[in-house]
Amino acid sequence: MPRLDPAAPPPGPFRPGFWRSPLRGPRLTAILGLVLLIGLPVVIITGLLSNDAYQPGLGGNALGRSVGAPLDLYLFGWPTHPAWLYALSQGLHVSVGLAVFPVLLAKLWSVIPRLFEWPPVRGPVHALERLSLALLVGGALFEFVTGIFNVQYWYVFSFRFVQAHYYGAWVFTGAFLTHVALKLGTLRSTLRTRSEVAALAAPGAGSRALLDSPNPGPVTISRRAMLGTVGAGSLLLGVQGAAQAIGGPLRPLAFLLPRGSTRPGRLGFPVNRTVAGAGISARSIGPDWRVTLIGARRVSLSRERLLALPQHTYDLPIACVEGWSTTQRWSGVRLRDLAALCGVGGPAEVTSQSLDHGTYGHATLGHEQVADERSLLALHVNGVALSPDHGFPARVISPAVPGVHCTKWVSTMTFRPVTA
Amino acid sequence: MGLDHDLQAGDGVKPGGRAAAAAILVGLAIAAAAVVGWFQRPRDVVTVLLWFAGAIVLHDLVVLPLYSLLDRVVLGARRVREAGFPIVYVRIPAVLSALLLIVFSPGILGLGAATARGASGIAEHGYGVRWLVASGVIFALSGLVYALRTLSARSAPAAPRRRAAGPA
Repeated sequence: MPRLDPAAPPPGPFRPGFWRSPLRGPRLTAILGLVLLIGLPVVIITGLLSNDAYQPGLGGNALGRSVGAPLDLYLFGWPTHPAWLYALSQGLHVSVGLAVFPVLLAKLWSVIPRLFEWPPVRGPVHALERLSLALLVGGALFEFVTGIFNVQYWYVFSFRFVQAHYYGAWVFTGAFLTHVALKLGTLRSTLRTRSEVAALAAPGAGSRALLDSPNPGPVTISRRAMLGTVGAGSLLLGVQGAAQAIGGPLRPLAFLLPRGSTRPGRLGFPVNRTVAGAGISARSIGPDWRVTLIGARRVSLSRERLLALPQHTYDLPIACVEGWSTTQRWSGVRLRDLAALCGVGGPAEVTSQSLDHGTYGHATLGHEQVADERSLLALHVNGVALSPDHGFPARVISPAVPGVHCTKWVSTMTFRPVTA
Repeated sequence: MGLDHDLQAGDGVKPGGRAAAAAILVGLAIAAAAVVGWFQRPRDVVTVLLWFAGAIVLHDLVVLPLYSLLDRVVLGARRVREAGFPIVYVRIPAVLSALLLIVFSPGILGLGAATARGASGIAEHGYGVRWLVASGVIFALSGLVYALRTLSARSAPAAPRRRAAGPA
């Protein structure tokens, strides 16, 4: 292999003079890096929390994912207090994720000359660092693109989103930890250096920082205006996410997202899956519908029998993994009363099976959820009977769980005692 | 210990040092374990890797050069090069409008519409018009800022800056 002369890069982007923007420099990169250093951990941690909230260790919740691998962190049973915990955590995941995206793009722009370093590889450690940078950039772009497409229902990718996004997040997180370890010192010293000092020291000082152009073009926009533009972009995107998470009167602000609109009336709040979309016949949810409780014994109940049991009412959110949520007033029978009815006393988990046999047609709630007095098999919402789209004749509602675990059109509920 | 030796208070991890190599290996080990996770669905792996690599290539070698080139072409236009042309008031709203278009293109182009309708029961459309209206508002705000700045500059041409520069 011919030796590459470090002093003689090929023409084009490998020559530092090719990059002429006077905006680029260590300070710009450090400022953008600091914003990402704050924002990205929020997205990573809320993402991991969401994995925990799905309780993949219970029943069939993992949806075919094997949860024994080292990165399948499933640390604790998901709490039920506060009821808006998942709405907050997942709202942050999507809103902060959207808000951080323009900063990521600006950061990548600010360091693009480094992609064309010459020579491309200086040694084994440098080669490994460049590999880890490829995982950093690829991981970030992969996670943001799949996430942004997913919240807009564009499943253009043929792979299963959950696995791709979850393990992709770990590829990114590994590379991100490395990058922070390698660059935190540079970031701190760059930000600590006062800009005036930097300006005095940089030209002709013989120690030109790698990101400063040696051949800067005319200034066509100030660095402050550029950062302001990035901030405005973050605000525009973040508001879309926050509006669909907070909902209520703010929901219309999410006018570019599918969850910015609702249907009119008391039952008009958002639906994750319609009765038509689930392919459920009118007959199967008609007068002959029964829910079967399976525990120490089997009990079959009609909707009338359920209505004759003690009813309780709570305001609880439905919070979707896509970042939208909506809080409504639900009434129904407590899950723990149903457990007792089929002979299961003490801590128990429950697997609810829907008439919908799609991917999320079943879900298992842990003993924390079953024990909580606010976990209901709901029959009414906002004072009226559930509509078919909201899960008529009966649906599960439980505080702080992901929306798809609030199984609709329930046909069987299997209670299993556990040691809490 | 080598690790302590490589870490210096203000300087962080020395490039190419043993601590740097250790940090890189830890990150790569986590990433490798994640790739094992992807292999739980073997028929997905090739597509996932294609998307992963494709994202890098598309961003670094297509999207970024394209928008840089577009910016350069616009800035190079004769009318724009004339002194006093308020290009920054066009450039900033154009960037924001393009950002909205790129991020919300699945909705604006109706690509997820059928799936969204099956999920929400709402046949929502008109995202393209909303994007145009949002872009119009952003451009109008930019124009307003320009107009206000021009007016205030005209009305007080000789007014000294409130924050005077410090002594040289």
